Amino acid sequence: MDSLQHALAEVNKMRRLSTAVDHVDKIIEMLSTAREQVATTLDPHTTSLTMTKLQNPIKVAFERVNEDLKEVSGAHKKLGRALDKHFPLKPLPSDHDAMAEYPDLINRAIAMHLLREGQFSVASTFIDEAQDASTHHAPYQRLDADTPDDDLDEPMDEDDPDMNASPFTTASTNQDLSSLQSQELQTKFAEMYSILQELKARNLGPAIDWARSNSDELEARGSNLEFELIKLQFVWLFKGPLVNGLPDNERNGRSGALDYARRNFSRFQGRHFAEINRLVGAMAFASNIPDSPYKQDFAIDGAFMDVASSFTREFCSLLGLSAESPLYIAATAGALALPYQMKFVEMSKAKGTEWTTANELAFETPLPERMLYHSIFVCPVAKEQTTEANPPMMIPCGHVLAKETLQRLCKGSRLKCPYCPSEGQIKDARQIIL
Amino acid sequence: MADEASKIDHKRHLLLDQPLLRLPYELLRKNFRSAHFTTEWDAAFVKNLLKDTATGSLNAKTPPEDVVKNLDVMLARMRGLKRKLTTNAEEEARLYRQLDARVAHLRELSGMHTVDDVRYESWSRQRLDRLMIDYLLRHGYNASATALANERQMQDLVDIDTFVSMSKIRTALEGGSVQEALAWCADNKKELRKLKSNLEFMLRCQQYIELLRAEQPGKTTEAIAYAKKFIVPFNETYPAEVLHIIGLLTFGPETRLPAYARYYSPDRWSQLAAIFVDAHNKLLGLPSFPLLHIALSSGLSALKTPACHGAEATASSTPGHGTSLTASVCPICSTELNELARNVPYAHHDKSHVASDLMVLPNNRVYGQARIQECAAKAGLGPNHVKDLVTGQVYPADKLKKVFIT
Repeated sequence: MDSLQHALAEVNKMRRLSTAVDHVDKIIEMLSTAREQVATTLDPHTTSLTMTKLQNPIKVAFERVNEDLKEVSGAHKKLGRALDKHFPLKPLPSDHDAMAEYPDLINRAIAMHLLREGQFSVASTFIDEAQDASTHHAPYQRLDADTPDDDLDEPMDEDDPDMNASPFTTASTNQDLSSLQSQELQTKFAEMYSILQELKARNLGPAIDWARSNSDELEARGSNLEFELIKLQFVWLFKGPLVNGLPDNERNGRSGALDYARRNFSRFQGRHFAEINRLVGAMAFASNIPDSPYKQDFAIDGAFMDVASSFTREFCSLLGLSAESPLYIAATAGALALPYQMKFVEMSKAKGTEWTTANELAFETPLPERMLYHSIFVCPVAKEQTTEANPPMMIPCGHVLAKETLQRLCKGSRLKCPYCPSEGQIKDARQIIL
Repeated sequence: MADEASKIDHKRHLLLDQPLLRLPYELLRKNFRSAHFTTEWDAAFVKNLLKDTATGSLNAKTPPEDVVKNLDVMLARMRGLKRKLTTNAEEEARLYRQLDARVAHLRELSGMHTVDDVRYESWSRQRLDRLMIDYLLRHGYNASATALANERQMQDLVDIDTFVSMSKIRTALEGGSVQEALAWCADNKKELRKLKSNLEFMLRCQQYIELLRAEQPGKTTEAIAYAKKFIVPFNETYPAEVLHIIGLLTFGPETRLPAYARYYSPDRWSQLAAIFVDAHNKLLGLPSFPLLHIALSSGLSALKTPACHGAEATASSTPGHGTSLTASVCPICSTELNELARNVPYAHHDKSHVASDLMVLPNNRVYGQARIQECAAKAGLGPNHVKDLVTGQVYPADKLKKVFIT
């Protein structure tokens, strides 16, 4: 990309069409001067003299315009060569668009992504536009790349009955889209967004209120969010007006923090006894926290970021949504996986084998660890991923195999582990949930 | 984490970003062609007229008054040329500005080596914005695309103008008007011929069909004249089709013959629109379907596991279930993409990916030891008890058994 930028910088120094405009201007000037001369005298002799004298300069001027154009086109060619060299065209999938059949599902994903990002006005423009489009005419139709010309006369609406038969017809997903508009999801995301904005401004109040009103659900999920927030609020107050910029009164500073602790920590005595003791104990070191054993508890720079991300996670989880925008994750994963897909397509084309869309991809698409959300178990014998139909089974020695492998390995009811010397009964194997 | 998969392979990471530079380049060339064409045309005209006027004036055949008139014609022509060239020059400047911005944007990536680089996330988000805008524009959701581009201040990274003019022509076709598309054909005649596109032929046929649809004697004569002028010239390229469509003269819109009735079908308009879009995209070197589709079908598969659409998945994505300790809801299990991902194959793995130190609970659920301990601590259980992260059941710690994954 660096070399491309250099090439572009050089091309930028070359002549542009604007130089040609300047030269055209010169021609206009010459022509109007000549016109004035002829028009003022209207004398045949001067006229023919002027006109004869005009011939050559105009010819030269047009040649200049031509040279300009040549250089402009030269610049484009240079740019083209630089692109071919430093950013060569690589093929993209073009034969089959698996997503084309589901514009409504994609629209919904986009609308939700926009809401999640806090782009409420864009989202509402989009929802309006998408609904408008689908009520007026059929959404976007695509030609198959390979359709021969004479086939184009065929009616192309054969897909329609299929579409209507599928569980998510245009009509029903449209309702979905409008439900995004009017219903709670938008309000929910608006709420999340405003709480996050407040957290960014280091105001914990709204987040604490939310956590308190959802404390039952949060507790059921084993989340400590409410306590984490209250703990941070305590520390925040403790830092005093110089750090937190809140009014300097009895509700701020050390005494304010202590008061806050009295009012709020009691509910968490059971679950977080040790931690509360520690926080309150730190009061003794109040004048010298940075050198005390409590400095960890009072470092707040990362703490606000941490609670913001755990807040987002909890908020989305209560809605049954993932914390990161799925559309973002999927598009990023797509960019990472696409080279592998293209490599595979290239190889199978070279070998003459077509790639068929089965249940499982035919090639590996490595993703970074954090993009793996489920445990993946590949049976070490069959080298296949386990599924609901073929679940992982643990044999008594603790080794795990796929169920089908197990059935193939056992002799009668007895089983020898392929990984250690132990033997056992097949009935002792237990299906595990990873 | 510095695992191999997080590395950015710079040579291959920008597959989706090829049109980002290719399109302005193609547009530069197209813009130049139009500038070149008008210049040649006008220059030849002015040069000839100047020569003729000078000779005429010399032979005293052209009186000075006519010379003035001719000079005025030349001036008008040159001013016209200047106007057109100025427009082309502005377009050129805009395209170079876009190229600068785009190369700079792509270059940002060169400084990053893994996807865990903090800067990668914002770069990748911007890429998603680009992909979304491309998708929106291709579907004609122009207001949304413009709003998003403005909101994100990335007008130079997206091709709103190109797609807006495309969608105008497409909408016109869908609304039953061929004029706009025919004008576009005329602008791109040479290139369309190179692509062997049948767009113009199909548009001409449609006009002819519309004349016949009226079923008035006057219109029918007009249709015959039209066919002679515009359809017969295609005889060499599409002999069978030309013959067939000329035969339409004898069949009115009420015909029951499927071979002819289909010509009168209103669906033809949306087919024309599709043919146009296809030709337009090919001409500019744009992928035939939205880049977001490519990214999604590849990404959904890479993320999908057999568990994402199992019975377990639906349970864990219901509110209230699951636990904050199961780090985050999987994007495929999340409502946004779950239905969409149902239709793609799941990822292929050669190796198991599981937490280290797996332990099985008496209810056959398996978790990493660290997470079991963390959960027990958070739940305020003593050291002798553990809690199932999903179901919440509590067991004595000594009932745990180690699991070996090979």
